[in-house]
Amino acid sequence: MAAVVAWSLIAVGSGFFLAGTVGLLRFPGVFSRLHALTKADNVGLGLLVLGLAILAGSPWTALKLAVIWALALLAGTVSCHLIARYALREQGGRERAEP
Amino acid sequence: MARLRPYRLFWAGLAAVLLWAVFTAGTGWDPLGLLVVAAAALAGAWWAPTDLLRVSWRALPGFVLFFVDRSLRGGVDVAWRALRPTLPLEPQWVVRPLRLPPGGPRSLLVSVISLMPGTLCAELVDDELVVHALTPGLDGKLDDLEQHIARLYALRL
Repeated sequence: MAAVVAWSLIAVGSGFFLAGTVGLLRFPGVFSRLHALTKADNVGLGLLVLGLAILAGSPWTALKLAVIWALALLAGTVSCHLIARYALREQGGRERAEP
Repeated sequence: MARLRPYRLFWAGLAAVLLWAVFTAGTGWDPLGLLVVAAAALAGAWWAPTDLLRVSWRALPGFVLFFVDRSLRGGVDVAWRALRPTLPLEPQWVVRPLRLPPGGPRSLLVSVISLMPGTLCAELVDDELVVHALTPGLDGKLDDLEQHIARLYALRL
């Protein structure tokens, strides 16, 4: 039963990664693409980590996975802001940048 | 040496011990391990941005729940938009006045905005935020976020 739940979480999490990548390819412009990557991958990784933590069966491994997710979240959201800021300045501010 | 005050060393040391326990599955307590933990504690006390940590602990669970709920919705929302054949996007710039004080609250706001449904923080100039929104009408949701962060830092907006 636990394995079924775990593999379902891993499958759904992978689906979010896939959707994020589809967004990266389909969305117009750097800003919209950043949305797809940051948000979808964050949820994808969260679900993946939950599933793996259940499969791991050891609280230490589960905690390590949680730390990995937290660090990836932090890195993702900060780099998202920095890339957006760089792109906005590069394109001449919000008066001139295509949203 | 204000950065190495006892309370800073205590919290940095506690964090280092906990992290090392997690990394080594509770078995890393040989001399080398203790050296690593001591070095990490010193580095943490020296460099950690403490103003991020001056939160009210009672408000933390509520904030975490709010964050998990909204960031999940954000992921679902953007995944749905990416997979819809019609590609439902109306991207636009939204300028918002900032009501949170500089330091921890403001840094947290900028970081978290990018994980909320359809919003992304592109620039912070003086007391204004430049937010990129995927569709119109997402600003009201950011008011909630500001309120939650204010509560977390025990501030009144």
